[in-house]
Parts: sequence; structure tokens; C-alpha cells
Amino acid sequence: MAAIKIENVTKKFGDFVAIDNVSLTIEDQEFMVLLGPSGCGKTTLLRAVAGLGMADSGRISIGDRDVTYLPPRQRKISMVFQSYAIFPHMNVYDNIAFGLKMNRVDKVETDRRVRQAAELLHIETMLDRYPSKMSGGQRQRVAVARAIAMQSQVLLMDEPLSNLDALLRLEMRAELKRLLAEIQATTIYVTHDQIEALSMGDRIAIMREGRILQCDRPTIVYDRPATDFVGGFIGNPPMNFLDAQVQRHNGSVEVLIGDFKLTPHTLIQPLLRAYDGKPIVVGIRAENMEALAAPAADALKVSVLVVEPLGAQNLLTVKIGANTVKVSTHPSFEVAPDQNIWLRFPAEKIRWIDRDDGRVLYAEAA
Amino acid sequence: MKKRYNWTPYWLILPSVIYLALFFAWPMVQALTLSVWDNTARLRLHAEASTRSAIAGSLPRGTPIEVLERQGNVLDPDDLGQSNLRTEVWFRIRGETVDGQVIEGWAPETRVRVRSTDATGAPTTGTIRPRIGAAADPLTSLYSEPSIVSEVVGRLEANTTVTIDELTTLELWYLIRGESGGEAIEGWAPSRYVQVYSDNVSGRIDSGDAGELTLRYIQAMINDRFFWPAFWTTLLLMVIIIPVQFVLAIIMALIIQQQLRGSSFFLYVFAIALGVSELAVGIVWYAIFTQNGYLNSILVSLGWLAAPIPYLTADTRYWIIIAIWLAEIWRATAIVMVIVVSGLQAISHEVLEAADLFGANLWKRVRYVILPMLKPSLQVALILRTILALQVFAVVIALSGGDVVTVLANEAYRQYYTLRNVNVAAAYAGLILLLSMFSAIIYLRMVRSHEETQG
Repeated sequence: MAAIKIENVTKKFGDFVAIDNVSLTIEDQEFMVLLGPSGCGKTTLLRAVAGLGMADSGRISIGDRDVTYLPPRQRKISMVFQSYAIFPHMNVYDNIAFGLKMNRVDKVETDRRVRQAAELLHIETMLDRYPSKMSGGQRQRVAVARAIAMQSQVLLMDEPLSNLDALLRLEMRAELKRLLAEIQATTIYVTHDQIEALSMGDRIAIMREGRILQCDRPTIVYDRPATDFVGGFIGNPPMNFLDAQVQRHNGSVEVLIGDFKLTPHTLIQPLLRAYDGKPIVVGIRAENMEALAAPAADALKVSVLVVEPLGAQNLLTVKIGANTVKVSTHPSFEVAPDQNIWLRFPAEKIRWIDRDDGRVLYAEAA
Repeated sequence: MKKRYNWTPYWLILPSVIYLALFFAWPMVQALTLSVWDNTARLRLHAEASTRSAIAGSLPRGTPIEVLERQGNVLDPDDLGQSNLRTEVWFRIRGETVDGQVIEGWAPETRVRVRSTDATGAPTTGTIRPRIGAAADPLTSLYSEPSIVSEVVGRLEANTTVTIDELTTLELWYLIRGESGGEAIEGWAPSRYVQVYSDNVSGRIDSGDAGELTLRYIQAMINDRFFWPAFWTTLLLMVIIIPVQFVLAIIMALIIQQQLRGSSFFLYVFAIALGVSELAVGIVWYAIFTQNGYLNSILVSLGWLAAPIPYLTADTRYWIIIAIWLAEIWRATAIVMVIVVSGLQAISHEVLEAADLFGANLWKRVRYVILPMLKPSLQVALILRTILALQVFAVVIALSGGDVVTVLANEAYRQYYTLRNVNVAAAYAGLILLLSMFSAIIYLRMVRSHEETQG
């Protein structure tokens, strides 16, 4: 059992607060992704768990051991580094066997585990090679093999795919996912690539400025972001944001986008009452808007600026008031720039965002 | 389209190539030639008494010879200062014969007595010397050229007054015969190379005008009584200095690498000795170890010693070695450290973190990761240090005066400066060069870095 518990961890570099009182629990064998833009503290948090940068305050435990101030070698973890950090003076075999050798695993067992790890990563034919004679993708595999050969209960990965080219990244992503499901280690995976996070993680912790904004399953993080930042960071294209005005009308709440009236979902109405007469931000994902070629009573008339055919979908850029909005349509929906289309906003897909603190409003029972 | 070859790098490198050839390769070849090339080994004999005539053969320096004949030859004015020259002066004179005819020609100085000279000291008039002995020819011949083999213009009686118009200096050439390799060789040679004994018929070849490869300078070096002490002392110093320096330098570099507070201060402190001249270091340590030096004063004032110990004497040679050892370690460890520090900085931080994370403690990280990855740097440092150790000189001079304990560089200096023995000094220099190259090759093979370290 190796759940990782991070409790109230703070880490400062001089005056800069890299991690600000973060608490996070990663369940045994869970795949946790730390996601965020660069400088958000995700790598610092991972390094605090690894022991490569001690936390200033707080507590980190792995299983039932408090490891907060243990040196890395005593934490019984393994790690894949962003630069791979494989030893250039050792061949692949010795690289993979390094951790086992340092931990005095006997020779037969070492050999068995090295070959097993190499086989899992499909590098069993390169055991005699030196890293300088390998491609970036192959080095990456060595780094992963070295980490899994340790058979630690905790595996840390620091942007392991960021140095690979796009195609290789796609391939390694799927392979890593399969591999990690197989080895059943508790994994913390740091990335700034939201697609990687969505596709791989059991849960995603989105970080910004040293804090965790939201930590949940990928579908939830995508569909029900906790803040506008999460909505804007996750998804491609990111969530659209529209400036709107709340007003009360005949006992119910209406929201005006320009002249266009939007009727919020009944569940959210009580919450919106507090915003009567105030501006609010409407968040909606590109694929959640319904594009119509002809006018309809509940649809907003917009003019198309750009049409980007992407194969599986067409991405339209339209202007609504001062906001630019991306709309995803089926490829069969034919439209040209400067044409008018009409957009329908399904009530249950609209996210209501507080303009001041970026919080997304959810009705309790949703 | 024709592929254009890019010559720019070659143009850029040209000045350095010229510099290297002019100030490095050429003097080095010259110097090394000195140690194996005896440039006065053989004397070439000419078929006739002229430098333009064919070579009849050559005789090694020192060969005993017999002198068969001699002849004066016009001497190049540039050669006048040459030692060992046998010369004779000829005058061009004018005088009246018994039959009243005025004749003009050349006669050797020995036949004319100078009676008057002009303001510069050049002879202007003279008289023909009488010949002594009844059998002698009473007349003196004048020649058309300043040579006894030239045509006789006429003859003058003794005591004829003559005017002297011109004079010329001739070098004597000897027709000599000597034996070389069981073969008798006969030919003409200028007097400057030949020593003729007082009997005027025998002599020896004094020096040659042609060079020859020789081992005698190297033999002279090896047979010198200071050679083996210098050789072994140099090796001993290398063996006791270099390993200690490397251990210290690596430890110092690791301390600096820890990025502790003030580690850059350490770097400066460690590197101070780099800026001090070798001789100054020697003098500093001399001041410590001399009989009334710091060490003795401190020990005596602490009461640990009753009387000062004379460390740097011929009877306490080991103390001198220890002093040299300390001085060299103090002086030259920093250069190794600087190289090791730069090597350490080239090691990726993540690699060291990975080693730590995968269970290597400090010692194992040094042993299995840092040292192997430092190999190229260590190799450079090792070669550099060994070459510098072979050149150790000023420290030894300062601490031992260069006699009690001596090293190869000191012997080269002694041979060149004190003994004026350029060739043997060159042999020492050549030996140092050879040892440097040899050790560099050994290191390159022994500490061979895998191709993988350039990754």
C-alpha cells in the first residue's frame, strides 16, 4: 500500500512562493496528473515528493512512512526525469540495473528485472548500446525502463514526453498508459500538456501559482471546471467566455448577451439571483453550441470570421460582442466567412462564472 | 552548380599555423637537432686548394694526418676573425729590376720589408728582403696573382726599393693525408680546420665542416653524475605529488559543487596559489623551512623543540623532498581543481539527482557516476599535471639550491648556463619532451574514455 499524502506543503525560493500550502492525497495505485502552465509549482511539488527539493513546511508521507525530510534514496521511489537523466557512461543494461545495483539486489534477480523492464519497453535488443548512440525516443524508453525495473510502489514522472516529437509523443502516451496500468504503481505525472493529462490520468490536479485549483477525474475537470482558468486551460480549443448581464424578469432570471436573451437552467436560477443587475461571464465549450444555418427564436445570430476545416470537425471563429468565440461544427455544416449563422446555447451546457473571482457556479445537486 | 568549397576556416587558422611553425616547431626541431647532431664531426677534403673544387673525401674529427704541401688562398674577408686560421699576407708591389725595367706583381709578405706606412697604417713602401743561405735563390719572384702557382712576372734583387700598392690576406691550405675506415684519403683543407704540430709535417683534424648524427651528447648526459639523481627525483616527485593532488582537487571541487554558502569564496581561496609564481612559492616555503624560518621559530617558541632543526641540508634530503612536495601541492593543486570543477559543472544536475534517487549515497555517486563522467576532464588534468611535474624547476632551486636535490629541468639549465654545454642541455630538454609525450600517450590509453561519454 503506497498512498501518497501531501499535507499543507509550502516551498519558497527566496520571496517566491512556489507551492502555497498544498494538500493532496494520491490513492494507492492511482495515476495522478499534475497539470499547469510553467511556473505553477507542479514540478516543485513533484520534487518535494521525490526529496530533490525539501518542503519548507508541511508533511509528506508515502504509505505509512513520513518521508518529508528523508533523502531521495531512502524514499523507495523511482522517477523519470524530463531530460531522461540516463547515465551517459553506462550502456542500457547498466543504466536499467543501476538502481538495483545500488540497492544490493542480487545478480540473478537484477538480470531478470532488467530484461523484463527492457522487454516491456521494447528495448531488449539494445542492452549493449550506449545512450549517445540512441535516439531521443529510445533514451526515453531507457529512462522509463530504469524507473520500472526498481518495482517501487511510487513512480514519479516529470514531463517525460515533453522532449519527444509530436508523433512519438502520441505513441509513447498510449504505451505509457498501458505500461503503468500493468505495473500498478502509485504514479504522479507532471505535465503542461492538457491532452496528455486528460488522456492518461485517473485524476488531474490543475495547479496555478502554487495552488491546486481543482483535482478530479478528467471528464469532470473537462466538463465541470472549478474556475474559468481550468476551463480555459483544459480543452482544445479552450472554453469560450462571453460577457453577459443578469437581470430579473417575471420572477425568473434572464441573462443578456447583447440583445440576446438566455434563459438559465432552472437548477442554477437560485444562484444567479444574487447577481441581479450585475455582469456575469458565460462559459461554453466549442462543441456544446449548436450551429444553425437558418434563424430560430432561441438562437443568436452571429457572423463567421474564420472557417478551419480540421477533418473530424470544422472550427469556426465568430464574433459575439467584444468576444471571439470558437464553435465546433460537423464537417457537413457548410459555411463560408462573412456568412451569418445562428447559435443555440443548450442550458445544461452553459457554465456561469463569477466575473470577480473566476469561480464557476454549480447548483449543489448537479 | 559547382559546389563551393569553404576556405574561410583555413584562412582564419593560417596565422596560428604560421605562428606555430615559426615559434614552436622550428625552434623545437633546431633544439632537438642539437642533441643528436654533431655539426663539426667530419672534415671534407678538396681535390684542389679551393672551396670550389671537388670533394676528395672526408676525415672524422681527431684523425691524425700528415701534411704534404701548403698553399695560400684568398680569404673571404668575412672569415678573418675565425680562430685557428693560418694566414699569410701578400703585397702587390712595383719595383725596378737590375736591367732598369719597372715590373709589377704579387709577392708574399715574407719577401718584403715594410719601410713606411700611410696614416691608416697601410704599408706604402718597402725593400725586398735578402735571402739567407748560400744555396738560396738571390732573386725574388713576382707573381701575376697572389699565389705561388700563378705565372711569374719577373724577379727583383734583394734590397730593391718597391712601392706597395695593395695587400691581400691569404689563408693557408694544406694538402693532407689521413686514414678513415682503413682507407687513406688525401686532399686539400683550409688551415682553420687543421691543427699542425710544430714539426710542420704532422697534425690532426681539429674540427669538421660537415655534420653527422651522434649519440655522444646523449651519452654525456647519461654519464653525467647528476643524471640519475635528477631522473629518479623527478619521477619520485611525480609519484608522490600527482595522486595527492588529484584526491585533494576532487574533494575541493566536490565541496565547491555543493553550492554551500560561500562556496565561491572557497573557489577563490583555493585558486589563489595559481596566481603566485613558481619561484615565489619556492621562496615562501624556503622561508618556512629554513633553519631560522617560521616552522622552527614556531616549534621552538612553543617549546616543542630545544633547538632549530636544519631541514634543508645535504644530510636531510628527505626534508627537502617533503618541502618540495608541500610547495608543489600548495601551488599546483588548484589547476587540477579548476579543471575538475569545470568537468563537474558539465555533469547534468538531473543525472546526479537520478543517481541519488535510485539509491546511491554520496560515495557511490562519486564512485559510479561522478568519477566515470569526469574521465575526460581527469585525463586532461593528468596530462597537464604530469607535464608540469616534469618541468618542476624553480621550487627545487629555491629549496635545494639545485645541488643537493636536482631534477631534469635543473640539469638542462646547469648544462646550458653553467657548463655552456648546449648539446647536452638539448639532450635533457629532449628527454623531458619524450617523457611528457610518453606519459600523455599512456594516460590516453589507460584512462581511455568510452565513445559514449561524448553523448
